[in-house]
Amino acid sequence: MTASRFSGWNKLLLGGLLTASSAWADAPADSRYHIQGFAAQGLIGSTNNQFFGDSRDTVSTDFTEAGLHGSWQPLDALRLSGQVLYRRAGESDRDGVRLDYAQADWRFYQTDVTRLGLKLGKVKLPYGLYNETRDVPFTRPGILLPQSVYVDNSRDLLLAAPGVFLHGASAQKYGATDFLLGWVRPDFDSESVDYSFLGNVRSGKLKGKGTLGARLRWDTPTDTTLMLTYADARADYAPGSVDALAAGSMRFRNLLATVQQRFDTVTLTAEYGEPRLDLRGFGALPDTHRTIQAAYLQGEWRFHPAWELMLRHDLFYRDKNDKNGRQFQAATGLPAHGMFVRDWTLGLRWDATPSLMLRAEYHRVDGTGWLPGPDNPDFLGREQRWNMWLLQAAYRF
Amino acid sequence: MASIILFSPFAASAGIIVHPGVEGRSISTVSLRNIYTLRQTLWPNRQPIVIFVLPDDHPVHEAFAKEKLGLYPYRLRQTWDRLSFSGMASAPVEVKDENEMRARVRATPGAIGYTSKDTGHDGIKILRLE
Repeated sequence: MTASRFSGWNKLLLGGLLTASSAWADAPADSRYHIQGFAAQGLIGSTNNQFFGDSRDTVSTDFTEAGLHGSWQPLDALRLSGQVLYRRAGESDRDGVRLDYAQADWRFYQTDVTRLGLKLGKVKLPYGLYNETRDVPFTRPGILLPQSVYVDNSRDLLLAAPGVFLHGASAQKYGATDFLLGWVRPDFDSESVDYSFLGNVRSGKLKGKGTLGARLRWDTPTDTTLMLTYADARADYAPGSVDALAAGSMRFRNLLATVQQRFDTVTLTAEYGEPRLDLRGFGALPDTHRTIQAAYLQGEWRFHPAWELMLRHDLFYRDKNDKNGRQFQAATGLPAHGMFVRDWTLGLRWDATPSLMLRAEYHRVDGTGWLPGPDNPDFLGREQRWNMWLLQAAYRF
Repeated sequence: MASIILFSPFAASAGIIVHPGVEGRSISTVSLRNIYTLRQTLWPNRQPIVIFVLPDDHPVHEAFAKEKLGLYPYRLRQTWDRLSFSGMASAPVEVKDENEMRARVRATPGAIGYTSKDTGHDGIKILRLE
């Protein structure tokens, strides 16, 4: 998202949020409104490739996250909430302050064990376990989310979008279930999204059309979470004035399966998806129909009330039928390692106080499939094997 | 949960307290867990529930979370963070100590909270856990 596009919708919503927040100051200190926030700074070092800034053989300080979140319940059945976010992630995210989301949630049917509601506005998109709070460091299993499933390269698509969701939940003897079903218009127009889907930064614009999103979740009495997320997104390309590409269209479909089992101090999580990408009519870019494969397996162990270890194996193949990228290399002359990533991650978390968290993380990576494009503009300069360490301090209030 | 013993040096048994206007004399473990994981937001008579908690590292909170809910405080916090930052629910209201806990529960219709002892106080109702 560029500064010029921080307009219209966003300004209106941001204005509304700020107006509402000045009204909160007069409200009695009760449970009807709540303001919370966080700020986090990361340090990143890497070998061979860059990640979030100038990290190769040195230390990048270009990973900063801060957010201010507010919610207000003017009526028992109505909740207004929103978040203003500052994020800097190397060359990949230089947008600074932006309105993350602003939504109204109307619960039109509620009993003690069931509810049905409608949320609308610029709404948070349901996608897997972590997407809705992906920028809140405390809610993530590591400093970085598994890049296979939560690709920071396409984060603009996944964050929040104008639209509406019907949602419901029920808590019964067999556990708790909830669902979301909605229609949104996601934001395809960013450099990183161009990189992920069109192979490079393009002068034209990808314009999102209607997208269907759905999620089903079941939390069983045995501390198991089972979840399915489905998304079907389409976008049309409007070529720039001098553009090698024609006015093509793309479609992106994904069914993501999630399983989490919580034992005492151990949490095991796996998510698996086979997103399907179709590109048609882009002229210079051949018509493409490929199936991506994304999966990770993760274990978290709270070995002390304030300390947690995390181990994760994360797999990403840009083309399920060309996992090692040889066909891609033969066809394009570009390195095969751009078609896959296998990442081993080891992480340590220390909740020094209830409001201060410190984290360290080490990645051993084979492949460059989700390497941030804007930080590594030279395709031929990217190297297949690279390592990365990260440190992050996060404060909340 | 068996290995709760691993983490719990606190013998104090937490008592569940509610505003006197809340109906009933007892509450099920399942219901208490649904309330504190923000799944149940209304009492059976559809009055909104207002949840009070002590800080995450308060011994009485640790004892309550582990013994009554069967959850570690960090898991509760994670649940509250995911639901509150995504705009789907409000995190419980945090109070600084047991005196404030009793005062807020007494003064807030629909309130639920806990104290270190199962002893009665004026204007507060104790719920039996079943």
